[in-house]
Amino acid sequence: MSAGASNPEYVNARVRSRRASLFSDEDYRKLIRMGPSEIARFMEETEYEREINELGTRFSGVDLIEYALNRNLAKHFEDMIDWSQGRLYDLIARYLRKFDVWNLKTIFRGIYTDSDPEEIRTDLIRAGELDDRTIDRLLETDTIEDAIEVLYGTMYYEALTEAFEEYEEAGALVPLENALDREFYENLLEDLSRGAGDEPQEGPVANYIEFLQAEIDFRNARNAFRLARSGADLDPAAYYIDGGVLFDESDLNRLVGDYDALVDHISEDRRYGDRLSEALDQLRDADSLIQFEHALDAALLEYSDTLSSIYPTSVSAVLSYILAKEREVENIRAIARGREVGLDENEIEEELVVL
Amino acid sequence: MSELDIAMQAAQAAGPTLENSGAAAIAVGLAALAAGYAERGIGAAAVGAIAEDDDMFVPGLIMTVLPETLVILALVVVFIV
Repeated sequence: MSAGASNPEYVNARVRSRRASLFSDEDYRKLIRMGPSEIARFMEETEYEREINELGTRFSGVDLIEYALNRNLAKHFEDMIDWSQGRLYDLIARYLRKFDVWNLKTIFRGIYTDSDPEEIRTDLIRAGELDDRTIDRLLETDTIEDAIEVLYGTMYYEALTEAFEEYEEAGALVPLENALDREFYENLLEDLSRGAGDEPQEGPVANYIEFLQAEIDFRNARNAFRLARSGADLDPAAYYIDGGVLFDESDLNRLVGDYDALVDHISEDRRYGDRLSEALDQLRDADSLIQFEHALDAALLEYSDTLSSIYPTSVSAVLSYILAKEREVENIRAIARGREVGLDENEIEEELVVL
Repeated sequence: MSELDIAMQAAQAAGPTLENSGAAAIAVGLAALAAGYAERGIGAAAVGAIAEDDDMFVPGLIMTVLPETLVILALVVVFIV
């Protein structure tokens, strides 16, 4: 897959143009004052015109906004996978496979609950690497066993077959979902360098790897926080994902019991401590995980923007676009949902991640 | 006279392997090659920009042919020698 030349110039030019057409601060200020139907109308005059028109007959209100956002996101990310070649493709696909995992989970859940394939179809975000035909075939299957069989030849097949036995014994979807997640995170960093100790030390790819490691670190951190908060008696090792730099397995086991020590552990880390000091203070005071995640997102977004100016022909511009687009979708969704349940403007503003 | 001297005399009589005009031709050729390489990246980016926005056609075209000045400058060498 990574054979052949890569074409960062082409992809960057297109991605930068799309990055420029994302919603600005001013648009958000306008959106905050609107109700769901007004937001939909506003979106109809922008980027999202086609999606809103396509889905407008079937859905309305917040659902319409949500599906239109997902579909638009899928369209743009799918485009990027189509355009890129060689090494660039490899790097982009690594991250976007998370949508494959999301889709597979949705499909499994759909099959498990005997949902109508049409209903499952609207919930999918077709932004990943799996092509439309495979997904359509998956939707037609009636049992989970058949679905796994359709995936033969993809990277998920082996892990799923192993987890399937466990699923049959337990009758719950958790083993399958864990297997998917694990497979995704394990592949995130695989084969990036020619071997241990030979990782790129600086430059755009090194930063991209750092970003992927951060993804793993904060998945671990989030799991640890949740386990610490809920006080559930679960084995933390079962949820540990390998490859991050923040925790190793014994750290995680030790820290899960102690919330403050967990925060301290992150702030002592030299990679995240400085950049996230503000967010960490908030986390200590308010112990709100959401605020912390938002601060983290904003920090990442700003950082990736800087990187894409420093390294114009690299994966950085794509990364910055992916992050910005994801934020935009989440912001609009937060506004729409917030208005629906009647939050006031200040409360919604706190939920947004704006630079 | 040794065979070596004979060979050297013959070489002198034939002149240098590369005349000035020949060297100039190679210089132009190399410059053209470099220009082509530079245009590869710019052209790819320009096509990408045009695909997103039709108004970028003229700026894209201009940017793409800018490295062509390299060849024009190298062409000066041909008139100097």
